[in-house]
Amino acid sequence: MAETPLLEFKGINTYYGDLHVLKDVDYTIGKGEIISLLGGNACGKSTTMKTIMGVVRAARGTVTYEGQEINGLATSERVRRGIAPVLEARRLFPRMTVYENLEMGAYTQPRGAQFEEDIERVYSLFPRVKERRNQLSGTLSGGEQQMVAIGRALMARPKLICMDEPSMGLSPLFVELVFDTIQTINRQGVSIFMVEQNANMALSIAHRGYVLQSGVVVLSGTAQELRENEMIKQAYLGEMEIEPT
Amino acid sequence: MNTTTAAHPSATLTHKQRSMLLTILAFIFFAVLPKIWTDDGDLDSLANAMSYATLALGLNIVVGFAGLLDLGYAAFFAIGAYYYGIFTSFQVMPVWSDAWAPLAYVGLVEKLNQGGPDLVHFTLSFWLALPTGGVIAAFFGMLFGFPVLRLRGDYLAIVTLGFGEIVQICARNMESLTNGAAGLNGVQGPKLFGYRFGVHSEPYYYVGLLLVAFLVFVSFRLRGSRIGRAWMAIREDETAASAMGISLVNYKLLAFAMGAAFAGMTGVFFVAKLQTATPEMFNSAVSSMLLVMVVLGGMGSVWGVVVGAVLLQLMQTWFLPQSSEWLHSIGKLTGIGFLQTVDMVQWTQLIFGVILVLMMLFRRQGLIPAVRKVAPLTMQQQTASVVRGGFVGLDKIGRWAPGKGDALVIKDVVVKFGGLVALNKVSLTVPDGGVVAVIGPNGSGKSTLFNVITGLVEADSGSISFNGVELLGLAPHKVLEAGVARTFQNIRLFPNLNVLENILIGEHARLKTGPFGAVIRPPSVVREENSAVQWAKDIAAMFSNRLTPRLDQTVSGLSYANRRRVEIARALASRPKILLLDEPTAGMNPAESLELAEQIKSLHDLGLTILLIEHKLDVVTRLADNVIVLDHGDKIAEGLPDDVRKDEEVLRAYLGRSGGH
Amino acid sequence: MTAGDLFLQQAINGLSLGAMYSLLALGFTLVYGIMELINFSHFNVFMVGAMIAMLTLQAFGLHGQETILTGLPLIGVLLVAFIVAMTVCGFIGVAIERFLLRPLRSVKGPAAMITTIGVSYILFNVVLLTIGTDSKNFPNPLPPITWEIGGAVLRLREILIWVIALVLMGGLTYFVTYTKLGKAMRATAQDPEAARMMGVEVDQVVMSAFFLGSALAGASGMIFGLYYNLAKVDIGFASGLRAFTAAVLGGIGNVPGAMLGGVLIGLIESASGQLVGTAWSDVVIFGILVLVLVFRPAGLLGRLAPNKS
Repeated sequence: MAETPLLEFKGINTYYGDLHVLKDVDYTIGKGEIISLLGGNACGKSTTMKTIMGVVRAARGTVTYEGQEINGLATSERVRRGIAPVLEARRLFPRMTVYENLEMGAYTQPRGAQFEEDIERVYSLFPRVKERRNQLSGTLSGGEQQMVAIGRALMARPKLICMDEPSMGLSPLFVELVFDTIQTINRQGVSIFMVEQNANMALSIAHRGYVLQSGVVVLSGTAQELRENEMIKQAYLGEMEIEPT
Repeated sequence: MNTTTAAHPSATLTHKQRSMLLTILAFIFFAVLPKIWTDDGDLDSLANAMSYATLALGLNIVVGFAGLLDLGYAAFFAIGAYYYGIFTSFQVMPVWSDAWAPLAYVGLVEKLNQGGPDLVHFTLSFWLALPTGGVIAAFFGMLFGFPVLRLRGDYLAIVTLGFGEIVQICARNMESLTNGAAGLNGVQGPKLFGYRFGVHSEPYYYVGLLLVAFLVFVSFRLRGSRIGRAWMAIREDETAASAMGISLVNYKLLAFAMGAAFAGMTGVFFVAKLQTATPEMFNSAVSSMLLVMVVLGGMGSVWGVVVGAVLLQLMQTWFLPQSSEWLHSIGKLTGIGFLQTVDMVQWTQLIFGVILVLMMLFRRQGLIPAVRKVAPLTMQQQTASVVRGGFVGLDKIGRWAPGKGDALVIKDVVVKFGGLVALNKVSLTVPDGGVVAVIGPNGSGKSTLFNVITGLVEADSGSISFNGVELLGLAPHKVLEAGVARTFQNIRLFPNLNVLENILIGEHARLKTGPFGAVIRPPSVVREENSAVQWAKDIAAMFSNRLTPRLDQTVSGLSYANRRRVEIARALASRPKILLLDEPTAGMNPAESLELAEQIKSLHDLGLTILLIEHKLDVVTRLADNVIVLDHGDKIAEGLPDDVRKDEEVLRAYLGRSGGH
Repeated sequence: MTAGDLFLQQAINGLSLGAMYSLLALGFTLVYGIMELINFSHFNVFMVGAMIAMLTLQAFGLHGQETILTGLPLIGVLLVAFIVAMTVCGFIGVAIERFLLRPLRSVKGPAAMITTIGVSYILFNVVLLTIGTDSKNFPNPLPPITWEIGGAVLRLREILIWVIALVLMGGLTYFVTYTKLGKAMRATAQDPEAARMMGVEVDQVVMSAFFLGSALAGASGMIFGLYYNLAKVDIGFASGLRAFTAAVLGGIGNVPGAMLGGVLIGLIESASGQLVGTAWSDVVIFGILVLVLVFRPAGLLGRLAPNKS
């Protein structure tokens, strides 16, 4: 890729207290790409998400967005600049209506014509969301909640959507729907960074992927390459690298 | 005692000696002070300082040791005070009948005639009232504490605030008992061998000094005992404390009762000294002053609160009046009218507020912190090379006696959170002496399984029996007593306690020392404590030199891997019959993981039964006889580690269905 | 008076007290909903509100109950007093949050709560040292218009208190339901991390909660003055404890709950004053607090606690 990537991690190290979570991690997310981040339990995927959103700060390394370093930037400013999250387990505001949840998605955006346009876009993507717009979001089914969560992210007019486990806890039918939608959104020019346990599904729609293991990127490449690599299975099922020192 | 201190680093020994010396010097100083400084008013305010110090010591047990924020502590002070006041004054005087005669014989009452029928005048001895006042206040402490102890800490604060208010309202409105706002009159002062204390301050000063000395002694004895450790564990982490065998209800009640007893005794003393009792003596200003004393000195720090109490009393009785006079002089010199009339004593409460705010913002641990800074380890002490081949020094630990058949039998356990089924009819067995591993993707219910076994989460149906004992429905501390000890996925140590204390808390359920034993320390308690410390050290020593040089380091300062080790040591210290390890190698590097895997293996070789949640499959392969795979709360596979890894269903759970695109 | 009239009279009084407690309870509930903090300084922000309102009315030359105003001057004077009391209290709340509580936001344990206790003493004693401990005659320029309903008396004062409370509660409800910042406050109460990731600035939300809560405490303080015709330095404690009980009764963190709880506590207070005597009504209300906390900690309308995962 000759053009500047949309988002780039260079030598990122992140800690929780003294627990070293991400160790010298590099990622590049190009404009218009779907990137899938794979890995087993507790390997640092969610920390990656939080580092992108600025909820967790990197101790070392730089995060660049649209060519600018954003390490010190507040979460709200990142959202304003076009990075929107779809959080793990949806995390809607349960006692607010679907419509209000969508409004919260547009928190950093001006109201008015743009808002109406964006909400129509979400409604046309998810007719179901329109039907439920006056319902409290806590009363929706898991699949419906995921639609609202994705819609909420779209309301921020994102250039990059970071998704944390979008398929988690959904029925196969909904998983398919969600992944179809991700592709649709992507075709409209939004880059997607997706943390996903469901590796097969994720790699079927991703352009490229990274495999994270204990906070280290152990494998990266095109989706095709990763799909054919046997190491992925190991990465998921457990590390096999313990050797006597 | 020598056997335990001898093994400590020398710094601790000198510190102990130094503080002992300081203590003795301080008490000698205060003992001879009235002979040098004979001003009766000053001695009186010192005697008051002593009663505030004893109150602060009591509040420190509740707030500082057990972490229960009590804003109505003065209520117990009032209870002790009115107890003594009512039973020595002329307020309550029933009509005499011969039924009172036995009490009159022992001197508790006397017959009184004020022209009219004969009346009963209570003449409770101060020396009898002192301990019984403590007991009565302790009873009220438990009475108040019982309904509210399950509340979150901040609710407890406001409820105790209300209790404090209610006791004062009662004192004001139950006029037949308390004479209302006017207060009790004619309260008798103490007598000792016929000597009447009267109105001179010196004898009260000495009683106050003895009371402080006694309660400081009790505080230290409790703090360094099984009881104090249990309180501090509750303060640091209730969940972990109950999982380590500490009954939350019992120990919180004990803290309330003990704190109330201190206050009740002080109430008796205070009223005997003043020879009156009015509701204003116990209003919320007193509770707030005590809170300021504890916060200023350092929550949990015994000397801290004594110093805090003395400092505040000095401020109120000496510094503020004195500084008013200085300001008046300055005012006269400079002609500033405000300075000529200012009365700094009125600023007392304002200064209290400022102290609270400043302490919270800038020095939360107080003037004399409860946790001492420990010298950092030398480079040599810090060097630890990876130890291969399992735990060391296992001969001191001994083998586990083999049992018969299955140790843990889980049958059809269902756990629901709202609509979500976290565990769906999960069954598994862990044979005695076996190692079973539970694996599964995120959110598959693994930690819920541990929580339901250890009583932290309730099951909707099913059964969990351990060596024939049904665990479902037992409180967490009862589960530990049944022999089930655990570690937590995200490490739940007692962060402000040191390594030794953390491990000792693991032994809680094995020890027997009660509050009286802890204070009196008879030989049996000394023996028990010594062997407990020795056992904790033996457990720590199993980790080679990872923990031993760090025994008196605060655990919050340890590395992640060492915190995990302390947590395992704490669980082992209870000498469990089964050990539940939740991702023991999480956050460890490969070499450390291997070290720990081999250590766990060596426990297994000693016959310990182990249930393990683990992600690193080679750790599982090394250790487990049997692997259970959970996915979305369902058990989807079970078998030998190598078979499970090839299972199609397991691959699907981890990797997801093949994409259909 | 017949029993029915007595009941009606106590209901009228109880509704006025309830209006006062509701406004005060809202401040506890807003702050607790967002920060899980019991704000003890709120007790005395309320008292300061009563004092500020009194000083403002006195600045208009009103002293005691002799001067009676009507028409526009009456409305104008009351309005100014409300606005001044609410604004000053609002800014006191903001200052407490900004300078004393924000540095402690990431500190675990009781530090923030102890700080609010300290602030409460400071407010109390600053007023004590400047205004004094004696009970002050709170100016009341309302004309003595009364209506008789059966044997019960309804005064203009009651109507005024109800109208003001309704307007303020309506305004707050509108604010949290329809405005952007109000929605951000609700979102933060329900899931602080998710709200933050939507771009909500938590500092701004917390500060707004303190401003609004404290401003309502200021209004509540003025209502206290109008109702009892007095202001005193120690009025914060009893009213504050009742309002806190109201917030818990309604479900702490729940805005309509605080309003409902306040009205109920007002009615209970006036009923218990009738039945067991005013000296014991604190005990009754406090008993309710303990019972609710022990048996129904979520309160009547449920608690809007943040999602803890």
